[in-house]
Amino acid sequence: MSENTNQTIARRRQVIDTFKQELIRRLNLPYVPEDLHEDVSLLGSGLGLDSLDSLEIVLCVETCFKIKIPDENISVLRSINTVVDFVIEQQDRNGGRA
Amino acid sequence: MRISPLKDQLAAAGAVFRERHGVEVVSHFGPLAAECVAVREAAALTDFSFVRAFTLPETPGIDFLDALLAGNVPKIRFGRVLHTFLADAGGFLAADCFVANNDQEFVFLCESILPDAEFDALLASAGMASPARDLSADHVILSLDGFKSWEIVKQIFGADVVGLPYLSIENYQFAGEPVRFIRAGKTSEFGYLLVAPVKIAAALFEALQAGVAERGGRLAGVDAHDALRLEGRFFNIFQEGARVRDPLPLGLQWMIDFEKEKFSGGAAIKQRRAAGLKQKVIGLAADADCAALRAGARIFHAGQPAGEVVADCVSQVLHRPLALGLFPLDLAFSGLEFRVGSPAGAVIRSISMPPIMPKSLLVKLDEM
Repeated sequence: MSENTNQTIARRRQVIDTFKQELIRRLNLPYVPEDLHEDVSLLGSGLGLDSLDSLEIVLCVETCFKIKIPDENISVLRSINTVVDFVIEQQDRNGGRA
Repeated sequence: MRISPLKDQLAAAGAVFRERHGVEVVSHFGPLAAECVAVREAAALTDFSFVRAFTLPETPGIDFLDALLAGNVPKIRFGRVLHTFLADAGGFLAADCFVANNDQEFVFLCESILPDAEFDALLASAGMASPARDLSADHVILSLDGFKSWEIVKQIFGADVVGLPYLSIENYQFAGEPVRFIRAGKTSEFGYLLVAPVKIAAALFEALQAGVAERGGRLAGVDAHDALRLEGRFFNIFQEGARVRDPLPLGLQWMIDFEKEKFSGGAAIKQRRAAGLKQKVIGLAADADCAALRAGARIFHAGQPAGEVVADCVSQVLHRPLALGLFPLDLAFSGLEFRVGSPAGAVIRSISMPPIMPKSLLVKLDEM
């Protein structure tokens, strides 16, 4: 694997691990991080979280990464991967990692 | 081969049939792209009578289903639907299941990849006499999906329908007969499954078809649903499910209650979980002109074999091929570049799923 690929994976893995652990803790999910596939739907199907839980996810991102998810940007909450994409994009926009 | 009670009506409407796991299904009516677009923009009606449907009395149905299924059946609240799966003794997928707690009965719907006889034998393995009544011979199942599908069911069944949350069941009447009505689509647009007696099937089909046509929609086959499920990243047992079979790399842990002592295949699944996940299915995308991103194709990274495509479609929203690929964990991340077919094949990228934003997510039905 190239150095660039290794860096991409390492960074993404770090955001995923942090988010999953906090998500499990906050929502008291009966899973270990490895059980949560990054593409699993957070709301509705999949983990089946409700609108109250979605507030917890927003707070989770804010606490872990110091990044706010705007109210109108609900598409971010479709899966763990879409949340992670948003976090990485915001970190890049802010000129570095939070 | 099992055939739909609606076969004649479907054939008259131009259905092209094919066999899938011992059941005749409608592949398509017209162009696949048009059927997919109908769901995203309007509505589409599909015969889902390939789904095995059962009812069970609450007692002993609750114990029977809980002994079989990976999910926790006693926890299903009245009027709600559990999405889970049925595994064989080895812990490999046999059916993708909805279980609905419908007052005095449970409704059990199964998308099975086993021949009916093998599926029935698996049900018999629960260790108790099956209390299930098979509805498959005297009922049809219709799937109404699409951004505007809620308008059609509202017109036919009344405004109450609109208030049903995702994964819920309610009983309605059509032409004096009961219809079990489940909100549970797998396209990421609004979706409804209607389980209706054969005696009203033709009339119900016509009423729904008229509603669909009024809104610029059309009839659709299962090929469109295969594409829409992948695009919306809904699990599809007929595609990636049938190829991978192991629920853990497929990311179906959310369907499993790991605290349950026993369920069919549970011991094997827990053993594999304890040994640690080794592979994972992730999303892939290619440029619009790439024809190589097809199920079965090998994927390469840095000149070495890295994975395999396990499901594919062409997204009518993104206008490019999408796929799911099975990868070792160290490469199962979105944002990476791969080659498909050969080490020098077309460039593809791993992506976060779902890659589309369904129109239905922007509509708040409870405010309509």
